[in-house]
Order: sequence, then structure tokens, then C-alpha cells
Amino acid sequence: MRRAVVWLALACPLWAQPAVAPSDELVGRRSGEQWAGYRIIQSWELGYRLSSTGGNEGKYRSDVNYGNGIRLLSGRFAMTSNDGHGRWFDELLLNTQGLGNDPYEAANFRIQKNKWYRYDGLWRRNDYFNPALPIAGGQHLEDTVRRLQDHDFTLFPQSSVKFFTGFSRNTQTGPGLSTVALAGSTGAVTPLMLDIRRSQNEFRYGNEFRVASIRINWMGAREWFREELPARSSQPAGTQVSRSQVYEGTTPSWRLNFFREQGEKWAINGRGTYSRGLRNYDTQETATGVPAASPSRAIQTVVGGVARRPVLTANVTLSLFPTSRLTVTNQTAYHDVRMYGDSLYSQLENSTLLQSLIYFQTLGIRTLANAATVDFVVRRGLSLRGGYQYSERRIQSVERNTENVEGGFTDLKTGDQTNRLHSGMAGLRLQPVKGVTILLDGEIGRQDHPFTPISDKNYHGLSARAQWRGRSFTLGAVAQANYNFNSISLSHHSSRTRRYAVDASWSPRSSVSIEASYARLHLDTATGLAYFVSLRPVIGQSLFFSNVHSAYAGVRLSMIKRADLYFGYTGTFDTGDGGTAPGSDAFQQVQTYPMSYQSPLARVSVLITNKLRWNAGYQYYGYHEDLYSYQNYRAHTGYTSLLFTF
Amino acid sequence: MTRARRLGPLVFWLAAATATGAPTYVGSATCRRCHPDVVMSFSRNPHYKAQVEHPDARDQGGCESCHGPASEHVAAGGGKSNLAAFSVMPSRQVLDACLRCHSNSLGRASVRGSSHSLAQIACNQCHSVHKSPVQKFLLAREQRDLCYGCHQTVKAQFSMPFKHRVNEGFMSCADCHNPHGAAAPVWRMGARPRMTGVALQNEEPCLKCHTDKRGPFAFEHSGVRVDGCETCHSPHGSAHPRLLRRPAVFTLCLECHSGAGNFGRQGDGINMTSVTHSMTDPKFQNCTACHTRIHGSNADERFLR
Repeated sequence: MRRAVVWLALACPLWAQPAVAPSDELVGRRSGEQWAGYRIIQSWELGYRLSSTGGNEGKYRSDVNYGNGIRLLSGRFAMTSNDGHGRWFDELLLNTQGLGNDPYEAANFRIQKNKWYRYDGLWRRNDYFNPALPIAGGQHLEDTVRRLQDHDFTLFPQSSVKFFTGFSRNTQTGPGLSTVALAGSTGAVTPLMLDIRRSQNEFRYGNEFRVASIRINWMGAREWFREELPARSSQPAGTQVSRSQVYEGTTPSWRLNFFREQGEKWAINGRGTYSRGLRNYDTQETATGVPAASPSRAIQTVVGGVARRPVLTANVTLSLFPTSRLTVTNQTAYHDVRMYGDSLYSQLENSTLLQSLIYFQTLGIRTLANAATVDFVVRRGLSLRGGYQYSERRIQSVERNTENVEGGFTDLKTGDQTNRLHSGMAGLRLQPVKGVTILLDGEIGRQDHPFTPISDKNYHGLSARAQWRGRSFTLGAVAQANYNFNSISLSHHSSRTRRYAVDASWSPRSSVSIEASYARLHLDTATGLAYFVSLRPVIGQSLFFSNVHSAYAGVRLSMIKRADLYFGYTGTFDTGDGGTAPGSDAFQQVQTYPMSYQSPLARVSVLITNKLRWNAGYQYYGYHEDLYSYQNYRAHTGYTSLLFTF
Repeated sequence: MTRARRLGPLVFWLAAATATGAPTYVGSATCRRCHPDVVMSFSRNPHYKAQVEHPDARDQGGCESCHGPASEHVAAGGGKSNLAAFSVMPSRQVLDACLRCHSNSLGRASVRGSSHSLAQIACNQCHSVHKSPVQKFLLAREQRDLCYGCHQTVKAQFSMPFKHRVNEGFMSCADCHNPHGAAAPVWRMGARPRMTGVALQNEEPCLKCHTDKRGPFAFEHSGVRVDGCETCHSPHGSAHPRLLRRPAVFTLCLECHSGAGNFGRQGDGINMTSVTHSMTDPKFQNCTACHTRIHGSNADERFLR
């Protein structure tokens, strides 16, 4: 029976508002077409995307970045063998999105033959503006393009002995900030925009086999990384900078995993990894010019050296299931990383003497952690759990600066500290009636020597979640709170995070779906500060408030079995809290950050034939902030497309 | 096929037989009479591989390899009490049934002790074995929608102006998280975050893509290495550029660089800013305009170059 079934997701709850295109609606036969012993299902959406921006376009390109032009908005292709015995393959899948210069392009590909091989490929390209300065008022000028690809091939994927190999490549191009040491009265260094080219290639290989019921999986990998900043610049005005900066190296790594299959009574799994990162770097720079209020200068700088980082990690997890109601899990983890290197820094300045410095430092971190959890099902619909974790971390560091004339080091600084963390957790899951689930969780922790003033020290977290699922509706609510208090003499840090969310979805019939959600994210922190204003020390306090209200609503309607309408709205508002730092000029402006970000959308999809749909949509983006109003923008985006199958 | 996998359906069948008498296998052709859509689409289902491997064994390849012998179900004209109906099974039982075959994957090695399993989230709450609209992994919906269904506060974070592009389809939650359970993170002290996947070298998942931040560097920013990326960044989404936790960067930096207490590498406080840096001057409020290599540098211990 070849029954034409139109793919519609009408009855599905609508949980997230994606970008207006590609369309959710699909066309074609669910049963697909037959060809040479294969069943083929495919759909392609070709359309035109348009946008019009007002206000700060740079900010728009940082946040959204949809442009004009023809796009293959989406593509889906599936080819499966009817009898599972295809000549070269049994399954071939291809999914694409945004091909043709959308800022978010992706394609994934899978081909496999049962028992013999499986290949997975993923390609992604992201084009966006990277804010040049990491403050809200920063210039949005860095047109960054990032390309990622991953390839994985498995031989005998369903066998007890399998082999795998893979390759990943990650590249990034675009300008980035660097500095040049053309000292003047304005400061020791001058910011400089440079074109950065980064590439990372990783090749991996491995094997998996089984001994009794234990599977052993090992993998070796080697990563190559290279970063270049070739530059000739006339920035700032009146200066000339020429730089060649190369940073490259390899990281070989090995990973060993083992795990017990099935494990209905007990299960064990573990992992050990070792990697040995190595980077070489070389910088040669010539800078000439006349900095502000300074005499003409010429500076040559040469930097070279090597950095190393061996990392050893291991963990073992043992789970016991003595009865169907009881789960006991214990996990031990070990992490050891050492970072060290040397850097020869030489600088020749025409008006002063040759200066040669060697910096050298070591940082070692070793962490040992053990966690035990117990979960007990009291009765159907009620389970309790509890746990305890102990972590111990040792941090060692050595800093040696400034080689003196005798060849020794001065300014030797060493550090050695041990931190311990005790944390406990408890929770319960309750299902009082069918369809209703309630989860309660809590965690409390104490650390004796946090590394930074904002690290977790005396913290606790509470979480409550309730959900009611019916045949045509879902109601949910979440409340979470996290508190951390890190206080010592002369300094304290206190942070409070509270999050609340409710959501509901309802599909009264197959042609109507409604969903709405609201979330409130609250954060307030108080932190002790010390800084200088006009050579005068200031001891103050940072009080930061954020009250984010996020709302979403979506309605999908199906009319006369041919037209589908969708209306959605997403709004995010940070109302701040009006707080300012008393007596702290530098901080008064940035203690709250009122902003709004809204995006309503509407889309229509009309079924023309069983193999063809016409779609059109509109989406508005409006961004507004009080602190730096020149960043505000509004954008009207839309698209029209044809979605068809062959 | 292991002995356990061979015996699994048999044990399941015996359990069913004990409870209901002696049900027998009827074959997928019988199932098709009442469930044509399910059977028709089965050849596109990854589970079809099992049927290909065992075309004659009803207990190892077809519908009854998961649902058990269905003779009583057929005789009764349907029902969920006379065969293994996953929609009414306890989550632990669903997990046991699926892991009979799916326990041989490294990514699911920690599934029984995962936060999802302990919260009674069973496989079929995210996977739709018969009618998956998603081509890969038989997901019941798009992955982000599945996760948002319970993690509503995370959905709100991804609605921020600056966010990882999950809603845009460029990334998925599983790029950073393992929903089947992950080992506890070893790059920081506490047990949180849970269910976070790791990069190849047991690192934070951020470094899978942001490889330039991995290093090694001759001069490491120790705060990054000791407490991790989340010290400064909100990984899901933020109202502030670069996913920072504060709108202006100097407020973030100064919260640590106050010189107070016994924090830092030497335990004598993290060094203050230079006395020449007047914080009311906008130039000095943009710390990373000069300290551009804030994640680590090979040329300057103050991360200038």
C-alpha cells in the first residue's frame, strides 16, 4: 500500500523558537520512493532570505547575522536498503542547513553497511562578528569565520572487535586584537588589529575489543595546531609595525577506556588519558614611529621559546545494583597537569640599551576526587538519593623573572597549597499520580582554600522541578537557587542565583498546538574590590544585579489541511535592580545592565501538491540597552522558499 | 552475538511466559495486520539491522525481540498488559531491555548511574523507536527541544543576545553534554557540572572547538586552568559579549585582582592592577584591549602580546 502521508509535526509540542527558516513543515511520502532495492526519502528547501537592519549593524552581526541571498535552506536525504543487504551500503543519510552563505551552515553525512563499516561526517561553518572589545560598548568589527569538520570511520561496528579512525579540522580566520610595544606616554603598549589565522588538525585511531564481559577501548591521537599573525600595519597613526608571529605545535594523546557491558547487577567503567602538549613560538617585530608626546622611536622585539603541558587523568566508576531498588555508585577521579615553558624575550630600542629577559614559570595542578551516591526506590513513584564527594587539589607554582648578569634568577616566587572540598547532596523523586513528577535536589559544599575570591567556598544549591504530562498537554515548573559565600578577612564575595521557570504546551487537536513559557533568572553578587583612581587606592565593593525575564509563546495552526500558520514570540528583558556601588565612581554605571531583546516571528506554509510546499516567513529582531544606547538595533528578516521532493 | 545477547530475549520470554502462561511468538507479519505503519517503516529503522542478521529468528530480529512473544496480545485483540509495552514499563525495566543490545557503546558506559537514570528518565522518554522524526539516533524530537522540555531555564539562557548557536541549528546540546551520563569532571573541584562530556584529553568540552584556548602556553592564566572557563563565561548564553558574566570587563577582572586574602598561586592574594591604571579612565576599563592574550601567552607574563 502506498499511502501518501504528509509529514507534519502538528501534534508535537513546540519547545523552542528557532530562526524563522528553514521551515519545520515537511512534504513527501513517509514511505518514500523505491529505486534499485533502496527506499529513498528526500526533501529540499530552496529559498531567498532577506534582511534589513537599522541601528548598529555591527551588533546585529554579532547577535544574528542573517543576510540577503539565495539559500538551500535545508536538505534531507535518506537512502535505505530494503532488505538490509545493499551492495555497497545499507544506509545513506545527508542533512544540510543554510548552504549558500547563511551564517550557520552545516551538513552531516552518514553511510554504513551493516556489520561492515560506518562513516559519519559533520561539516559546519559559522560567520559572525566577534566583538573587538569585551565590553558591551565594544566595537563589533571582527568578522570571524570558523569552519569545523569531523570525520569518523568505524570498521566492523557491530562486532566484538572494531577499529576506528577519525579526523577533525578546525579553522578560524578574521581580525583579532593584539598589542605592540611602541611605548609612549599613553601606556606601555598599543592595541593593534591583526588578521589571525588558526588551524587545528587532529588525527585519531583506535580499537575496541572484548575480554569476558569487559570492553576495552583505546585511542591514540595527534593534534597539530598553528596560529599565525603576519602583519604590516600603520596603526596607530604615525607608526609602522611589521610582525611575524607563529605559534605551533603538536599534542599527542592516548586514551584507554574499559567498561562492563549490560551490568544488571554491577557495572564498572574507567578511563585513563595521557597527553603531552608541546608548542613552539617565534615572534619577530619591528615598530617605528612617533607615539603621542614622545620622541621618535624604533623598537625591535624577538620572542621565542617552547611551552609544554603533560596531562595525566584517570577515573574509575563502580556501580552496584544489589536489588532492583538500590543503586550504589562510587567514582574516583585523578587529574594531574603540569605546565611549564621558557620564553626568551629580547628587545632592542634605539634610544636605550639592549634588554634581554628570560621568563620562566611552572604551574602544576593535581586533583583527586572521590564521590559516592546511593539511590533507593522506596516504592513505585518514590525514590530517594544521597551522596558525598571529597576532592583534594594541590597547586604548585614557580615564577622566575629577570635574568641577572650572573645568569641566575631574581624575583623567585614559589607557591604550594592544598585545597579540600567536602560536598553532600540529597534528593527525591515523587510520582504521586500518573503523569505527575516532582523532583527535589539539594547540594551543600565547603572548601577550605578557594583559589580565587569568587570560587565556590561555602555554597549550597537547591532545585525543585515538577511536571504534569497529559495526553494533549504538558505543564512544568522549575525553581533553582545557588548561593556561594566566599569570605575572608578584608574581602568577601557573595553570590545568589535564583532561577524560576514555568511552561505549558497544549495540543487540543492535531491542527492546533500552543506553547508558552516564562523564566526569570536572578543574580546578585557583592564582591570586595581594590583598585586605583588617579594614583589613589580605592577599597570598594562591586554590587552587580541582573534580573532577566524571558518569555516565549508559540501557536501553530493547520487550516483546511493545506495551510499551516505559525506565530511565535521570544522576549528577553534584563530589568536590572537599580543598584549602584556607593562611593565607587568607576563602578556606578555597570552594576546593572538593563536591556531587552525581542524577536516575534510569523510563518506560513502552504501545501501545493504532496511533493511541494511554499513557505514564507518574517522575523523581527529588536535589541535595546540603556547603558550604551548606540548599540541598539532593529532588524527585519524574512524568507520565501519552496520545499519539494523529487 | 554474545551469549548474554542471545539469552536476553529468552530470559525475557521466560519471564513473560511465567506471568501469563505460555505465550508464543507470532512473527512480525502478524503484527503488520494491526500496526502497518510501524512495520512498514521498520526497514528505515536502525533496529532493522537485527532483523537482517536473524531473518528467521522471531525472538531476535523482529517486533517480538523487544516486545516479547505476542500470542496473547493477538488473541486479546491488543492491550498493553499482555506483552512488553514500553510505555507502561518502569524506567529501570526499560533501561534493562534497551541495554541488552545497547550496552556495547562507550558513550553509554555510565548510563545506569547517570543523573537521568537516577531521576527515572528512561530511554523511551527521549527516543521514539517507531516514529522518530529525526533521522539520527531515533530521537522523539529535535535534540534541543527534548532537552528544553525539562531544562526550561537553559532554554531561557539560549534566548540571550549572545549564546552558542543551538536554536539556530548550528550546535546541539550533545556537543558539550552526554545525556547518557558522563564521568565527574576532573578539571575542577566540585561534582558539578554533571553530565558534561569531555574533550579527548579529559578537558572541558569548550576546548573541543576553542582549541586556541587550550595551550600549552609559557604563561598560563592560572585562574582559567584551576577553576575553568566558567569562572568568567556563561557557557549557554549571556546578555554580554563573549558570553561574559559581567557587562564591563574590568568589573570581572577586579573581582579577583584585588590583592586581598590568601588567594592565588602563592597564597598571598591575586595581584592588584597597576597604580597607573586609573579605573575611571575608560582606557583602563577595557582590560583585554591590552591584555589580549588573557587565556595564556607565550610572550608576556601579563598576557599583553
